[in-house]
Amino acid sequence: MPAGRPGPAAQSVRWPPPLLSLLWSALLLCVLGVPRGGSGAHTAVISPQDPTLLIGSSLRATCSVHSDTPGATAEGLYWTLNGRRLPPELSHLINASTLALALANLNGSRQQSGDNLVCHARDGSILAGSCLYVGLPPEKPFNISCWSRNMKDLTCRWTPGAHGETFLHTNYSLKYKLRWYGQDNTCEEYHTMGPHSCHIPKDLALFTPYEIWVEATNRLGSARSDVLTLDVLDVVTTDPPPDVHVSRVGGLEDQLSVRWVSPPALKDFLFQAKYQIRYRVEDSVDWKVVDDVSNQTSCRLAGLKPGTVYFVQVRCNPFGIYGSKKAGIWSEWSHPTAASTPRSERTGPGGGACEPRGGEPSSGPVRRELKQFLGWLKKHAYCSNLSFRLYDQWRAWMQKSHKTRNQDEGILPSGRRGTARGPAR
Amino acid sequence: EDPQSDSSVSLLPHLEAKIRQTHSLARLLTKYAEQLLEEYVRHQGDPFGLPGFSPPRLPVAGLSAPAPTHAGLPVRERLRLDAAALDALPGLLDAVRRHQAELNPSAPRLLRRLEDAARQARALGAAVDTVLAALGALGARGPGPEPAAAAAATVTNTAAGIFSAKVLGLRVCGLYGEWVSRTEGDLGQLVPGGLA
Repeated sequence: MPAGRPGPAAQSVRWPPPLLSLLWSALLLCVLGVPRGGSGAHTAVISPQDPTLLIGSSLRATCSVHSDTPGATAEGLYWTLNGRRLPPELSHLINASTLALALANLNGSRQQSGDNLVCHARDGSILAGSCLYVGLPPEKPFNISCWSRNMKDLTCRWTPGAHGETFLHTNYSLKYKLRWYGQDNTCEEYHTMGPHSCHIPKDLALFTPYEIWVEATNRLGSARSDVLTLDVLDVVTTDPPPDVHVSRVGGLEDQLSVRWVSPPALKDFLFQAKYQIRYRVEDSVDWKVVDDVSNQTSCRLAGLKPGTVYFVQVRCNPFGIYGSKKAGIWSEWSHPTAASTPRSERTGPGGGACEPRGGEPSSGPVRRELKQFLGWLKKHAYCSNLSFRLYDQWRAWMQKSHKTRNQDEGILPSGRRGTARGPAR
Repeated sequence: EDPQSDSSVSLLPHLEAKIRQTHSLARLLTKYAEQLLEEYVRHQGDPFGLPGFSPPRLPVAGLSAPAPTHAGLPVRERLRLDAAALDALPGLLDAVRRHQAELNPSAPRLLRRLEDAARQARALGAAVDTVLAALGALGARGPGPEPAAAAAATVTNTAAGIFSAKVLGLRVCGLYGEWVSRTEGDLGQLVPGGLA
């Protein structure tokens, strides 16, 4: 390949020549420049062919007309780059059959298939072309994170260095090996969880660390990330809990009961799973999260609004699996399940409001403290179920007795006393 | 030439159905071929796709465009030429796809269209062969393109570069469109009622 004079930072083509030859042997091509009968076009060749250059570098190229055709001359030839005619002052004739071009401070390639530099005859017909690849070498990929779904596979994601913009096609290859023995392996299933991700579907060892890294390569060079070391057991996630059911708790207007099943894929191993619940009112986007749901498959939501539809989701963290000390990775949230709290039977200003009346336990701070007390009991007293049940019974009794007292005392909706028949409390 | 007299033997219903079906397929592939060409030029960059872009019409060994005299041939002869071209196209389209996989690896839709086009050309060629066989015309196809595999394996001038590969790919996509369109036209003359 004849060499032009590249700019100071120009690099020679690094794209493997044998690969290109292989492509050409599979491609059916005629010789470029064989004129069609009657076309009248002279043939030419551009040098260098398909160079690779750094952004900001310069390029000197030549278009040489084949001299075997009578009358062939470089007089009147001109250049275009990506379809735009280049200013004539950038070109000059070297001799009768060669037109030179000097380009400085090149911008990054407009498309990954290369910028099209074309030599034209006076009549505009195309004599020859060359594709320029102008860009940057890759920077080090970073921020590798991996997770295993039910200990069966491993998916990793990473961030390309320099936000990925090299103007050249950059190939990313995720590599992995067992830390103390074994050969390098290359991940093969890319883009499974976004553009910079790869999935290793099988044949992964447990209880032994892997080393994982990413190599980025383009025409201008390569870069390698730092190595991430992990044991598959330390990055396990699982499926969302199935069969999430949300139901009312008798007539209690501010509570809903949530039940679910442990994710079946890990149910034989999940001795210490954690769960989280989140819920929101139907027409709200704000989720409330219940965080302190440890290794159990039911929970009661309290302090809810009566007569309101709630959406509920549950997720699972299989931490501590096989004795792993790491935090574990939360599953996706389960599909939303909806249920509504019973409507309040009390009337009053605002109808259906669940603000407390006299004699009822106040909401807000008291309820909060009560919840904290019950949470403490759950951890230390081993009789949490009993406490909740008793609390519910007490609340139901309080509501009933409040209703009865209001009727006895003839308290009107406005709060004024009517004709009272008994002493006020 | 009266196309109906060319099929003067009354067509059996199943043959008529096959002709209609193949004609419909050719019509559909003509539309797909236009889409393939649009997708192809989009990924090669300007001047490909610019109005007035006129690259060298590089001859593709093993396949040429339908000759100007094609329309004047008997319909069976036309269909034989159509079938021969459709036989050569899959190998060429595969070769273009392999090159584009290196040149435009982030263009999955283009690569898929090229793969589909190869498959579709094969299917249409087989369907045209079936019609020809039913018409008793499947004999010698006469001078036609080289066998597809041999054509696709021809070693080229290694001085040719990526730009000429882009131009060649454009030529192959163009030939694919020309031949499926030509097949649609030729089959249309066999459809009872003389659909164009």
